[in-house]
Amino acid sequence: MHPTISYLKHKNLLWQAHHTQQSDNGQHTGFKELDNALQGGFPEYGVIDIRSLLGIGELRLLLPSILTRQQQRQTELVTLIAPPMSINSEMLAEFGFALDQVMVVQPALTQQVLWSAEQSLKSGCCHSVILWHASLSVTQVKRLQLAAEKGHCLLFIIRQPRQEHISLPVTLGIRLSPSRVGIKAQITKRKGSWSNTSFNIYMGAYWPELSQAEDTNILTFPSRASRAG
Amino acid sequence: MQNIWLYLYFPNLQLDALLQQNPEANIHSQAYVILDEQSNQICQLNHAAYLAGIRLEMGLGTAAMLSGDLQVIAYQPEITKSRLNDIAQSLYLVTSDISFFDKNGLLLRVHNMLNLYGNLSAYWQVVQQQLSLQQVRFHYATGHSPLAARLLAITAWDQVTDNEDTIKKAIHNTALQHTDLTPKAVEKLQRVGVHTIQALLKIPLADIAKRFDMEVATYIGRLTAQITHPVSFFHPKKSFERYIELLYDIENIQVLQAPLEQLLQSLQQFLKARDLLTQTLVFTLRQRDEKSIELTIHSQQGEYLAKSWAVLISLKLENITLSAPVFAIRLIAENTYIRTPDKSDLFAGKQGRLSRLQLISLLQAKLGEEAVSTPALSNDYRPEQAIQHAKPLAKPIQPLQLYPLRPSFLLTPAQRLQEKVSIAYGPERIETGWWDAKPITRDYFIARNQLGRWYWVFKTPEGDWYLHGVFS
Repeated sequence: MHPTISYLKHKNLLWQAHHTQQSDNGQHTGFKELDNALQGGFPEYGVIDIRSLLGIGELRLLLPSILTRQQQRQTELVTLIAPPMSINSEMLAEFGFALDQVMVVQPALTQQVLWSAEQSLKSGCCHSVILWHASLSVTQVKRLQLAAEKGHCLLFIIRQPRQEHISLPVTLGIRLSPSRVGIKAQITKRKGSWSNTSFNIYMGAYWPELSQAEDTNILTFPSRASRAG
Repeated sequence: MQNIWLYLYFPNLQLDALLQQNPEANIHSQAYVILDEQSNQICQLNHAAYLAGIRLEMGLGTAAMLSGDLQVIAYQPEITKSRLNDIAQSLYLVTSDISFFDKNGLLLRVHNMLNLYGNLSAYWQVVQQQLSLQQVRFHYATGHSPLAARLLAITAWDQVTDNEDTIKKAIHNTALQHTDLTPKAVEKLQRVGVHTIQALLKIPLADIAKRFDMEVATYIGRLTAQITHPVSFFHPKKSFERYIELLYDIENIQVLQAPLEQLLQSLQQFLKARDLLTQTLVFTLRQRDEKSIELTIHSQQGEYLAKSWAVLISLKLENITLSAPVFAIRLIAENTYIRTPDKSDLFAGKQGRLSRLQLISLLQAKLGEEAVSTPALSNDYRPEQAIQHAKPLAKPIQPLQLYPLRPSFLLTPAQRLQEKVSIAYGPERIETGWWDAKPITRDYFIARNQLGRWYWVFKTPEGDWYLHGVFS
């Protein structure tokens, strides 16, 4: 083998196609289109970086899979860390969550946010953690990644979409944008595979009222909206 | 059966406590004395001080002259008291009837314990072993009455026996100064040539009552067990309290960890022996010339292990700053309860390092109590009233009727709608709350803004539009 190639392989910079291990993506996301794109679903544990605007359905996209995790691992918690507004318990209960297995952590200082996330991840008593946090460095993500592996926990980091040059060492990166039928997603990073096409995820099965057909509404709603506005 | 009492006399409780808490101190070379400030007399001293010629009841001036680098510590009766209490607590594990007979002595009723232990020497061996854990110096003696045992222990007789003659002989040789008689009574007796107990006992009781006061007669009666001595016995408390005085002032939080660790170790011993757990510890750090700091540490799951508490404490300590040196620490664990073993599923596969309650305690210790909560519901149509923040892991009270289509996030309070939205669904009228001060009449709509965000908006009867939630 060429020394350069073996050097690169040692440095873990080179990836060969036959090394792809079929990762166990058993966690169905609850959305057919997303399952297809992820070839199964969310990973069992790890860090998932989600870049999205607030209020376009980014949390709802995660709820079915988290609910499945809650039902599978009933002694463990789902932890919401630093949500930008107060979480509506009515919505969670209505979706089927057992509220006593949900924990909301609202640290007063931003530097405590990552600490709380790390503790929750490695505690081994949380199955999922959702974290709202703006800026992350590579080392911070690595730490969270290790903690998530230790506690077999899935961490979702929800951040505002912004152009960044560094690539964070996350298990899965998803970029979300608004869509009438539900939400539009683009897989930006995924271990062991590569795809960069964006696709629509239909959410009408769970929330018919929050999903509009692609073209019919344009004519009907502006009249109402102008009355409302 | 013959009555036998064992008296344990602890001459140096405060000094022992102090030196035990600071094991690195130079106990053997340095002379330490405890000074009773009221009488200005030495009341406790260590061996180095004894070698220097210092004796009990010596004045401070004399003592200071005998030893140049004498360490003087003020006498504090409460330390002695709490220490005595600890010793009684520990002895309670092996013997049932313990009485606080004096400020520095314990009286044990032996005769009813002999059925359990067989004979006196077996009993004494167990008691002695239990005492050795406490690292205190003591004198002991047995007697057929509480006062006899006490008298012999104070004179450092240090023998355990149930032989009546031996005890009698020892008592007879004791000088009157060691008895509980008032100095005035002792002087009166000495004037008529009575110097020892033996001489005193030769006089018939009736004569004593006639010639001296009643007190002397009562004392003799009790000493010789002719009159029963009323004794009230100790009942152990279920709470833990300990106060330690530091040998030197501590200004650094890091240094503070060591004495705290030691307090936690003794807490662990206390709780483990009783199979108890506690959820709350209260530390009081006494600062010199400043207000003392009170630290309350909660653990959602009952703990007794020192190392679990140490983690929570170190998190709590990160948030405090010492404005003045700390000279003493008090630890109180008020409420304790019997431990029930955790029942975890052996076959559940991956076992977490922490339990849920431990995680919550950890987060609360660092972030504060109110930072961690569990979403909860109350039975109300008004969205603001329906959502609640309960204590972590609070169980929902009853199944409530839920309404579909509620947003993930709520703005508290609702804000004026500032942007152009198009309505996608609605209205849903909520008109309720006429019975209290916050009635609402609102028409709720689901709307979508230009950027594609899903909003939960409402219109008041006045025609004002508000943004109340976001369907994240």
